[in-house]
Amino acid sequence: MSLTMTILIALKALRRNAMRTVLTALGMIIGVAAVIVMVALGNGARASIESSIRSAGSNVLNINAGSFRRGPVHMGAGNTTSLTTADAAAIRDQVRGIRYLSPGVNLRTQVISDSSNWGTTIQGVGPDLLDIRAWAMEHGSFFGEPEVRTAAKVAVLGSVVRDELFGPGLDPTGATIRIRRQPFRVIGVLTKKGQAAFGQDQDDAILIPYTTAQKKLLGIAHLQSMIVGAEDEVPLEQVSADITSLLRSRHNIVGDQEDFMVRSADEMVNVLTSTTDTMTYLLAGIAAVSLLVGGIGIMNIMLVSVTERTREIGLRLSLGARDIDVLLQFLVEAIVLSLAGGAIGIALGFGTAFGLGSFMGWSTLVTSNAVLMSFGFAAAIGVFFGYYPARKAARLDPIEALRYE
Amino acid sequence: MTTSPAGQEPGIVVRDLVKTYHVGEVDVLALRGVTLDVYPGEFVALTGPSGSGKSTFMHLVGCLDRPTAGTFLLHGRNVAEMAPRSLSAVRNKEIGFVFQGFNLLSRTTALENVELPLLYSRERARNRRERATKALENVGLGDRLDHHPNQLSGGQQQRVAIARALVNEPRLLLADEPTGNLDSRTSIEVMGILQKLNVEGGLTIVLVTHEHDIAEYATRIVTFRDGRVRSDNPVVTRRDAVKELVALDSQPEMEERTA
Repeated sequence: MSLTMTILIALKALRRNAMRTVLTALGMIIGVAAVIVMVALGNGARASIESSIRSAGSNVLNINAGSFRRGPVHMGAGNTTSLTTADAAAIRDQVRGIRYLSPGVNLRTQVISDSSNWGTTIQGVGPDLLDIRAWAMEHGSFFGEPEVRTAAKVAVLGSVVRDELFGPGLDPTGATIRIRRQPFRVIGVLTKKGQAAFGQDQDDAILIPYTTAQKKLLGIAHLQSMIVGAEDEVPLEQVSADITSLLRSRHNIVGDQEDFMVRSADEMVNVLTSTTDTMTYLLAGIAAVSLLVGGIGIMNIMLVSVTERTREIGLRLSLGARDIDVLLQFLVEAIVLSLAGGAIGIALGFGTAFGLGSFMGWSTLVTSNAVLMSFGFAAAIGVFFGYYPARKAARLDPIEALRYE
Repeated sequence: MTTSPAGQEPGIVVRDLVKTYHVGEVDVLALRGVTLDVYPGEFVALTGPSGSGKSTFMHLVGCLDRPTAGTFLLHGRNVAEMAPRSLSAVRNKEIGFVFQGFNLLSRTTALENVELPLLYSRERARNRRERATKALENVGLGDRLDHHPNQLSGGQQQRVAIARALVNEPRLLLADEPTGNLDSRTSIEVMGILQKLNVEGGLTIVLVTHEHDIAEYATRIVTFRDGRVRSDNPVVTRRDAVKELVALDSQPEMEERTA
């Protein structure tokens, strides 16, 4: 029998038991939809992490003071004092492809205005940071090289800090705030940027010159970190390698135990998304189990169908059907069932993912990969779970099948 | 042995046919050595009590089963040596089956039921429709093409089954108790169709029945007992279904006259 005819007959047989067909397909529908939604959630989480890291600039390198070993004591990351302003200057002068460089010194403390107070992060940075991050000013202006040179007590506020200390929407430029009992003049407010990948609020911070943070607030001479913005023409790996070798020679490092870390945005993405990836696999795995259960449902109903239609099979054999004809008839029925379920499941998964995205505000991303995979999986389940009942039908003895009551 | 048209080769040649079934641990001897020839154009009735082997014999002749021993040549070919695929083709093209229970597919129109064998011989859709329509017209159901089996009487359903058996123009028709589920008048109608096919079309028919009066519509009666052929005789006074039907139709008038 031709394949077209076989498919038509399968559709007819499925329509005959419409309720049963729908219920059986429901197993596949739910399974496929679950896989798609779970993968969409995982991909969405990954994509939002990636985009927020990349929004910080894709050609950005983070240099952090690393761990060091003094005798048997292995200090944690950020405890070295070896990263210095001189290192920053050397990198700027000697490494090819450096466009921007902002040294970093952070602390957390309480900040006081005339009417209010707020605990926040004080970030000592360089004037280049505004360009590296591509941030914009809502009010006033950012500080420049003169303020850095003189360790001026000036502050640029994130919008959250402004809201807490002065009130939403106000322009506090020119006002004075106190950080660790020292007066700072507010010279600007950054525009609102939203949550960063790490969950920390980028707007909940105060930016001051890093020299001010070193000398006036912490009393240290070293740096905790640097952010480098590289030229687009120079490969980021090359810049990263050059910085690493320069710092190694400046810090007299011989072995593999470096006292600093150079990381690109890509590496940050990998570190931060490995957890979401694991969660995605886990959730998709659980959803795949429901797909498997749906497949078993198909096998079950196909076995019932073969038993019910034993006489029909006997008749078809006596009219000249070959065993392959009977096998295909039932196999195609199972595949049609699972593919139809798969197609509806994909639609449902799309809808659910979209709904979660627009009504719950979760970030979801349906990839063509997930769709193809679950459709292929559905087809494979149809073949796998449909084969046994179909083979059972094809191997029936025509005489016994005809006599079957 | 019966007489046969001179010079014709028998379509069915059976020599010492043995068939054993394994039921649990017991071997059942269904056929214990049957020898029989059926010539083209013959109408053979197989009779005998249940368990006599007549149905087993017909299944073997219908290529639904393979013999344990002995030879069976169908139209000159040894069935025991044929591949399963060729057997399917033989069932499809050379043999037509009619069953006691009609075995029509429900929720499928008469036309689609008749088209079924043509699907397996991969006939083109337009040819299928044409040939199935013609087959149904030949059994007097040209106006019932789109009826479903449950909209047809028992006699009409059996006529659909006959049309289905004949749509691929087989040389041999096997009928297994075709009148078993029908009342006597409808039985005569169905036998009339078979007789017409045999006499006018020259179709070879092998009929299994346990009713002796039905067997008398055939040209030859073979009686089975305990897996062997007990007797094999030509029918001397053959019943004519068409004439009987005419007589049956005029009976009410006679009753009226006598009343």
